[in-house]
Amino acid sequence: MIKTLSHDAGVTVVRPGAERLSAANAKAFKDEVAQLIESGSAQLVIDLSGVSFVDSSGLGALVGLLKKIGYRGDLAMAGLNADVAQMFRICRMDKVFKIYPTVDQAAEKMADAL
Amino acid sequence: MLAHLHTHEFGGQDLPAAVGGRTGQRPVAADASTPALKVIVAEDSELQRLFLCSLINGLGFQAIEASDGCEALDLIQTSGAQILISDLKMPHIDGISLTREVRRLGLPHYVHIIMVTGADEVALRDDALRAGVDDFITKGSSTAILKARLRTATRLIAHADALAERTRVLTETNARIQDDLRAAADAQRQLLPTLRDDILGVRVASAFVPSAIVSGDMFGCFELEGGKLGFYTVDVSGHGIHASLLSVAIGHLVTKDFFQSQAFDDAGQPDPARLARVLNQRFSASDNDDYLTMFCGVLEAATGQLSFCQAGAPSPICISETGEEHQIGDGGFPVGLIPNASYVTNTHTLAPGSALVLCSDAAGEAENAAHVPFGQARLRDVARSAAMQDFRTLPQAIVSALGDWRGGNPLDDDLTVVVFKRTSNND
Repeated sequence: MIKTLSHDAGVTVVRPGAERLSAANAKAFKDEVAQLIESGSAQLVIDLSGVSFVDSSGLGALVGLLKKIGYRGDLAMAGLNADVAQMFRICRMDKVFKIYPTVDQAAEKMADAL
Repeated sequence: MLAHLHTHEFGGQDLPAAVGGRTGQRPVAADASTPALKVIVAEDSELQRLFLCSLINGLGFQAIEASDGCEALDLIQTSGAQILISDLKMPHIDGISLTREVRRLGLPHYVHIIMVTGADEVALRDDALRAGVDDFITKGSSTAILKARLRTATRLIAHADALAERTRVLTETNARIQDDLRAAADAQRQLLPTLRDDILGVRVASAFVPSAIVSGDMFGCFELEGGKLGFYTVDVSGHGIHASLLSVAIGHLVTKDFFQSQAFDDAGQPDPARLARVLNQRFSASDNDDYLTMFCGVLEAATGQLSFCQAGAPSPICISETGEEHQIGDGGFPVGLIPNASYVTNTHTLAPGSALVLCSDAAGEAENAAHVPFGQARLRDVARSAAMQDFRTLPQAIVSALGDWRGGNPLDDDLTVVVFKRTSNND
């Protein structure tokens, strides 16, 4: 379901490929991105600009991926809409994830840090 | 008797020495272990009928004679036969009418109908198909063709039987699973607090609505030492059976004693963040992505002082006696998601006569047919107007409003509403 794009400096941009990240597809999303991580792409930017809704399962999958990357690399998010950003704030996920307005900004910051 | 008769109708073959049905030839099953499939032969010409029956018996089926359509119809109902070979032209009711009647019977099994037509009757095949005939055989066809037609019928019947059996097993299994789920739901409901209308002068009301029999939500409410009310609501990530396993575990774990011992600091002051921290340690280790959001609090009944910890749950709505409402808390880490997360105890004073409404996120997220979420604003409106009338109706008012919003469809997520109201100075 996911779509990936190679950005500069070894950063991979991942688009979930669905408007909603919820119980119905959270596991599939997580499994696909996990495969990506296992095959060596550990600098990931998740592009949520096409996502209008993330529920508790979706959040669990994202955190699971962050844990999976661990010290191997980094995971950032970009393009959160107002509702998703609010949900992240209530759960303090803004303290856990690096969140940027755009994919380019996220990729740039990630590349700088390498 | 009929031993040396040649027939002009069916390929000129000799009749076998004994004809089934009349002279006691027993049908030989095609396969020794399964009983021969019954075939009703509706044919008013005795010669044709007997010949057809002998061929059919010879092929390993059990032919049952019917001299006209009425007899055939009776036999279909009494014999359980699943194949009918019928002549087109018969007195009383013809082959097409017979077919219509058989289809109208609504038997529990399918009857495969093969119509025997003369070479000049092919034009009637359309009518026959519309009436429900499955296949045709022309008078004068060889035994091989009859065999092929019966083989097809046998295959289709075997397929239909296999399907029926699979459906039966699935239906039974599903019924058992539903029964088990309902038993689990009952066990879960037993864990919910039996709320007295009034605990230490604080009135309590609630609604617990699982989205699919069992709920990933749980809540508790306890009368603690020193005139304090302890409470918590919990919403496990996702919903359904796996979520309910965790919510029930919490329900069993967080008893009044547990709450009393964990939600206070060493100096004996209310510290719900400590409870969140303890639960986080306990539930963070899992390899799966299950976690929960929680709101837990200690309310001092006499003063209205509320100490609370918002662990990722939606901010509760506070409604004053005069109808002003605001939300308290700006968030916090969920439980079981981030090991070593930090939790904070905040305080708020509940004025006399004011209500505190805790509602799981299923309410705000509920979407109508146009995919518009119910949202916080509508939720606050419903809560406020119910609180102004009779707060006891508040949980049900929210449930009803959401039901209307969803056009009568159930919610996708578990819903829990807990309301506290501090007695007014006027009470």
